Amino acid sequence: MTDGAGALAPRATGLRFARPRTRSREFALLAIVAVALAVGSASLAATRRIVGTDPGPDPGFFADGLALAWYVGALFAAHLVLVLSGRRTDQVLLPTVGMLGGISLLLMERLPQTLAGGLGLGRTQLVWLVISIGLVAVIGAVVRSDAWLRLYKYSWAALGVAILLVTFVFGHDVNGQRLTLSIGPVSGQPSEVIKILLVIFLAGYLSENRPLLIEESTRLGPLRLPPLPYLAPMIAMWAIALSIVIVQKDLGAALLFFVVFLLLLYVATARASFVILGLIALLVGGTILYQLLPHVRVRVDIWLDPFATASGNGYQVVQALHAFARGGLLGTGLGAGLPVVGGVLPIPALHTDFPFAALGEELGLIGILGILGLYLVVIERGLRIAASAADDFRAILAAGLSLIVGVQAFIIAAGNLKLIPLTGITLPFISYGGSSLLASGVVIGLLLALSDREADAPPMTAAGRRWLRRRDRAASR
Amino acid sequence: MDGTVIAIWLLRLLFLAGLYLFLWAVVRVLLRDLRSAAREPGAELGRLVVLESPSGEPDVGAGFSLDAVTTLGRDVNATILLDDEFVSSMHAALTYRGRVWYLEDLGSTNGSFVNGVQIDVIAPLAFGDELQFGNVRLRLERARR
Repeated sequence: MTDGAGALAPRATGLRFARPRTRSREFALLAIVAVALAVGSASLAATRRIVGTDPGPDPGFFADGLALAWYVGALFAAHLVLVLSGRRTDQVLLPTVGMLGGISLLLMERLPQTLAGGLGLGRTQLVWLVISIGLVAVIGAVVRSDAWLRLYKYSWAALGVAILLVTFVFGHDVNGQRLTLSIGPVSGQPSEVIKILLVIFLAGYLSENRPLLIEESTRLGPLRLPPLPYLAPMIAMWAIALSIVIVQKDLGAALLFFVVFLLLLYVATARASFVILGLIALLVGGTILYQLLPHVRVRVDIWLDPFATASGNGYQVVQALHAFARGGLLGTGLGAGLPVVGGVLPIPALHTDFPFAALGEELGLIGILGILGLYLVVIERGLRIAASAADDFRAILAAGLSLIVGVQAFIIAAGNLKLIPLTGITLPFISYGGSSLLASGVVIGLLLALSDREADAPPMTAAGRRWLRRRDRAASR
Repeated sequence: MDGTVIAIWLLRLLFLAGLYLFLWAVVRVLLRDLRSAAREPGAELGRLVVLESPSGEPDVGAGFSLDAVTTLGRDVNATILLDDEFVSSMHAALTYRGRVWYLEDLGSTNGSFVNGVQIDVIAPLAFGDELQFGNVRLRLERARR
């Protein structure tokens, strides 16, 4: 009777071997993914044989059939791990991200292999994809308790701020953006880690203060603001987003962090006034930065009229628009587009920032609508997991994790399409790059773990534990 | 048209068809999932789970589905009967107003506690909060959907 949580969670945490539980829907969906990817690979190989400009590593029936076999094998191995874990977790997420990753693999095999050293572009991406799928499976199978996330929310936030500061000071500038951090031989993009830490912190903070945020408010004319003491973290968020733009020159991460923050604020409070206020703050901040900072001005000017500087700053965006136009409705087919002219990419950073444009050219409007549909499925699953979560922390965490993948995909897709100013962030599960794939794998793995209603009960609050201790002392006296 | 070109065309369209076949299969799973969720009696606004109850009434681990107004106490007319010597006959009420649950103390002798802190007449609750009345401890959880 001393530990109340024990009554509801008698099972120990950590690894334990449960009875395997079949996941027939997941298996059926993965089979469709495998067939579709095999057809895609055959299509790429056949096109290559007659176009003949870009000799791939293996001119067989499939374009690099070995890589395809490894990837599909990894997907089914992940499926097997989830079956053996015996948990009642979501069955749609793994096939959906598996499809996205497979499309990425086809695209990277199709681009010049020299874009990445060592194994070549396609094979390097394959290695990261397999590790990422492995993370999804292992986190989805093993993580049962969320106590390690919710009890240390301020520590996670502090870690995020620390990583940010380290990047400010020691980061390298790549293309004028300070995004990359190298520690010895390992280098990566810290904002990929920070975005996960941000969602964990927001879920902890908002779930703890939700009643207060809804209940009380400070009136300012027609607007109902949150109570003043609770406004401080929000202003801090806004300041952090702006400082990322100023110091790191990373518009994409700043926009992503701020939009996800506003969405989670809305999820937690259902108050439209907070969102409107946040958007006004974003517009005011954006306008001031536009006046002060040249790199922001360049981005916005390109967005307003890329053709004015078609061979200068606007070059990438103009080439991307041409690619979408060449693709048309059905696309040119994998391998038949023009992302490579004479061994040179007309769109620099195609494999990291513009994969959506390349896919728009080769798969057409139909293809990219299907890809956007896959991201919508990820968001739907996340919100569904949030709606059936047992408490506020898990609900906000699940909503935040899926929104961060979805919002990031839509920011970069819209940037490629010139709907919003272009910002250099990755397309989750499709862009080339280890940090992005690993972070996305962790996000989906956590979503899988959260989708299990039979997981361990939420831990007790600190106040509740103190109360119990006081009572037990009184009883023993 | 030459055979290879037709084969390439077919493969291209087949790949797109595969992508949409996958989406169609996913949407079918999602629809089935949403329908089964809609069929469940979904009127509950929250759940109250019993964490500790020395008298065995209610049972430890039992879950109560909550209506907009739920009363707790030792009286048989209380919505949730708490058979504990430190609980008053009409001890407290849980009310759902707008988007938030509130706990109201109905003038009980020993008071009502949220996360170990005694409340002053009425307090807003968050899902996951722990409530204590006498020796009975309960946790407010989100509705199962």
